[in-house]
Amino acid sequence: MAGTENGPILQFAPFQSSVDAGFWHELSSLKLNKLKTDESPIPITGYYTPCSNSQVSSHLTLLTESLPTDPTDEQQAKTSHGNRNKCSVPGILYNTNTLEGYYALDKQALLKAEAKKIWDDIQSGKAEEDSSVLSRFLLISFADLKKFNFYYWFAFPGIVLDPPATLVDLKPASKWFTPKEAESVSASCNEWRMSSLTAGVPFFLVSISSNSQAAIRPLKDFETCQREGHKMLFGFYDPSHLPNNPGWPLRNFLVFISAKWNLKKIQFLCYRENHGFADLGLSLVGEALIQPSQAWQDQDHVPNAVGWELNKGKRSSRCINLSTSMDPTRMAISAA
Amino acid sequence: MVLSQKIHDAFKGTVERITNPRTVSAFKEKGVLSVNEFVIAGDNLVSKCPTWSWESGDPNKRKTYLLSDKQFLITRNVPCLRRVASIQEEYEAAGGEILLDDDENDGWLATHGKPKDTKGDEEENVPSMETLEISKNTIHPFSSHFGTEEEEEDIPDMEEFEESDNVIENDPATLQPTYLVAHEPDDDNILRTRTYDVSITYDKYYQTPRVWLTGYDESRMLLEPELVLQDVSQDHARKTVTIEDHPHLPGKHASVHPCKHAAVMKKLIDPLFAGGFEPQVDKYLFLFLKFVATVIPTIEYDYTMDFDLGSSST
Repeated sequence: MAGTENGPILQFAPFQSSVDAGFWHELSSLKLNKLKTDESPIPITGYYTPCSNSQVSSHLTLLTESLPTDPTDEQQAKTSHGNRNKCSVPGILYNTNTLEGYYALDKQALLKAEAKKIWDDIQSGKAEEDSSVLSRFLLISFADLKKFNFYYWFAFPGIVLDPPATLVDLKPASKWFTPKEAESVSASCNEWRMSSLTAGVPFFLVSISSNSQAAIRPLKDFETCQREGHKMLFGFYDPSHLPNNPGWPLRNFLVFISAKWNLKKIQFLCYRENHGFADLGLSLVGEALIQPSQAWQDQDHVPNAVGWELNKGKRSSRCINLSTSMDPTRMAISAA
Repeated sequence: MVLSQKIHDAFKGTVERITNPRTVSAFKEKGVLSVNEFVIAGDNLVSKCPTWSWESGDPNKRKTYLLSDKQFLITRNVPCLRRVASIQEEYEAAGGEILLDDDENDGWLATHGKPKDTKGDEEENVPSMETLEISKNTIHPFSSHFGTEEEEEDIPDMEEFEESDNVIENDPATLQPTYLVAHEPDDDNILRTRTYDVSITYDKYYQTPRVWLTGYDESRMLLEPELVLQDVSQDHARKTVTIEDHPHLPGKHASVHPCKHAAVMKKLIDPLFAGGFEPQVDKYLFLFLKFVATVIPTIEYDYTMDFDLGSSST
């Protein structure tokens, strides 16, 4: 880990994608019946949950319902805030008609365009109201419907802090809070996750009063919390299971916090669960230092972004063949 | 063999179409569930083990006798850290001790851990599909169409297309991928962590829940159903566990065949009665998932080990 005078650089565990076969089935039928040769980008919805196991990270998952039933209707909101196991993340799909078209896509430009949306939502205050826009994602694909091959590549745009955030401290939440605080934080998080109003809200504030009582609050309560003078942490649903690295959503969250409230020292809670309940042994609390970028003062500035997903450690597309579940001739043979 | 399964499926399908779903409770007498009881038990599972949730599934495949938003249950991304074969080796090395350190009162669990020479005894308790005469051959026609040489030609090697031109990312704040497999050495002889989506549907013909497995490799790419059988207890692979069409999801999935579920559930419920408990139907799925754990011992899904079995213990 590269270090600076302020401590090691905070390194984020990249988001990992997972695509349900149902998504490709739905895309195929959409392509054949509605889209035809239209290559316009399609708004889609991904889903994730806080990490709920000490051994595997949770993924950004695409399901059948990730695709809009009417792709021309951009207003169609696919919210499932009520389902705690499917916190929605807005995304966009570029599905090309040919493999050549797929490889010809300007990936840097597409990533930058999505990062700009995140940046704009931070500037406009939209991210404060609907924090899920901080984790936007991008998917490019080519569906070869003759051979039932699906080529695809995900990007999870992460805005680059320059210089990078550094880490002062990072430890299991159970060691950071006092036992009394920990108990109250767990209870409040579980309550937040049980309510259908908040279960799918991935970014929040943790406010802890002087008598160790914790409350989970929406981001828009920041000023109120600050006036109350309570101890405050920035919490997010962490898909990462790693003991020393927060997950990807923290990246844009730190950018948001820094740009919005101009904080230089940020205490954050990587919220993780075990068997569906708050687990402060797995959850982490960290303290990061951020140096606000001078360039951000410029209204038209769009920060750099990274985030194309690696395929087994390499910069390459993925491909899945679904002929066994899609090819009518093969299905007929296996059913014979 | 395959034919007998086809005939049975056709028969089962016809019966399901012409009969009404069970509405009268018979779970104590027969170990079966009515549709309503399935929903009650499912609601309880979702509330006690919140990693499980109800799904509505494909609108075209919805069952009219179930609510549109409660068609089946699913828990995603369940880790499976090692293959069953390694567990069985360990268990044999340990002299055939029971590996699943479960409660003693579930005597039926013990049969799973018994050495091979007690096979005869095992047959009695472990559900099998012998009545349907399905053998190994059943899955061969399928496997021959999944990953044949011919097919491999169709799947392009993505590394050919590895790019360096327009993806420039040397970002010090991105954790490099070597860390992502920190738990497992980078050695092809070591099995990486698989994950499973485990779903539970209602089988109208057998009037019991039915479990389905969708497997993924360490980079969350879909596993061939054939490979899923590596994570099934070898006593059950290809007998109790078969590869079939999922009623709500596309494609072939491995499933624990429900033909003996009612009998096994009755075996689990009866001792509770004898012990003075009044088994409650909303606990059905907890018991059921405990039984399923013997079939898929390395898939670490959530089925909350400690729960009240009946009313008298609350």
